Amino acid sequence: MARSTILIADNSCMIRKGLRSILQNLENSEVIQLIDNKEDVCEIVHKRKPDILIINPDMLPSGCLDAKKEFLNGSKLSLILLSDKKNLKNNLKADGYINYMDGQNTILDMMQEILNKGSFPDKNSETISSREKNILKHIALGLTNKEIADQLFISIHTVVTHRKNITQKLGIKSVSGLTVYAILHNLISMDEVK
Amino acid sequence: MRIKKDMKLADVIQLNYMLIPVIHRFGINLGFGDKTVADVCKENEVDLNFFLQLVNAYHDKDYFPKEELQTIPVKNIVNYLKMTHSSYLNDKLSEIEQKIISLQSEDTEDQKYILLIRNFFEGYKSELTEHIMHEENVVFPYVLAVEEIIKNQNFTERNREIFESFSIGKYEEGHNDVEEKLMDLKTIMIKYLTPPANSTLYHTIIQDLFKLEEDLNYHSRIEDKVLTPKVILMEKSICNLI
Ligand SMILES: [Fe+2]
Ligand SMILES: [Fe+2]
Repeated sequence: MARSTILIADNSCMIRKGLRSILQNLENSEVIQLIDNKEDVCEIVHKRKPDILIINPDMLPSGCLDAKKEFLNGSKLSLILLSDKKNLKNNLKADGYINYMDGQNTILDMMQEILNKGSFPDKNSETISSREKNILKHIALGLTNKEIADQLFISIHTVVTHRKNITQKLGIKSVSGLTVYAILHNLISMDEVK
Repeated sequence: MRIKKDMKLADVIQLNYMLIPVIHRFGINLGFGDKTVADVCKENEVDLNFFLQLVNAYHDKDYFPKEELQTIPVKNIVNYLKMTHSSYLNDKLSEIEQKIISLQSEDTEDQKYILLIRNFFEGYKSELTEHIMHEENVVFPYVLAVEEIIKNQNFTERNREIFESFSIGKYEEGHNDVEEKLMDLKTIMIKYLTPPANSTLYHTIIQDLFKLEEDLNYHSRIEDKVLTPKVILMEKSICNLI
């Protein structure tokens, strides 16, 4: 299984660093970044696409009621709220809660439970389907989304979805990177590339 | 540990050798004996405050003194960014390129794959070069003009022309991610290629790519989080001036 990635956002550096060192006891997961600034949260979450976001509600955009909605953009994300306040659960929906007063074992048990839920399929070990291979071939040949849609009689929207999945599975974003992959796997030959 | 002005610069480098290229960009050469950070900065006419903030930001990933860095004059920030650009263009990119070419000259059946990597890297190189040229030719002259206008509280003809032809908002909008292709190249080399006969060189190239990516990350962070917000504020005060 791939390692699950975790972001921690809190104002206090003792909390951030303390929590990170507690979470080092978890297998199969990794704290990839600590965030100390409210303004950066959205951007970093979108850029790094963590599996789990542990965040102090004070770091959420103001007036935010459904915390998860703010960060979900098609990708899966488990949200854990981190606070010293007791009645947090009543106010905001989340997948888990950590209180500043919780002991190490309580925190680790809760985290393990979330990790076990199996909501994290191994993003990178899935092989691409033959449908996706076909799309990839067309991308590598330098066709635009519209051209691919026309040639394969599917909607542009479908092409875009396939592209997203291909990128996620292979870990390659750029067209030139995808082209190299296609050549290496004999989907196209080198001299077909413009 | 935070790096401070009365530490010996030699000790600082022992602490983190990744700082060697950083101090080099400030024009500081190795061989400084027991001199402190403050001494060396003074000798090389480097702004001590800027040096400390920047070196600490490189040294500790969780430390990014946005506010302090924004107090640094635009001119110094631009100078530093330019030095970094030239180290990419003149050294780092061609070093990696050379290594890829050496891989290729090995007489193996891997030729075809290495050619793929080489072409990919060439593509990346021209993309990054274009990115840098735009900053050097358009963005930096603009921000320097903005600083000058504020300093003089007055427009020269030339500065007015520059000021009206561009805005930092345009830069912010178009400032794209230069690390994407680099990450793809690493992924391809790690996941999808069997190393060629000279695997040691192949490994070195991957390590170089990691270092370059990290360096670019820090570089862009200065552009996006220090220079851009600073100039946005300056633009506003110029608008008040008019
Ligand atoms: Fe730059
Ligand atoms: Fe840039």
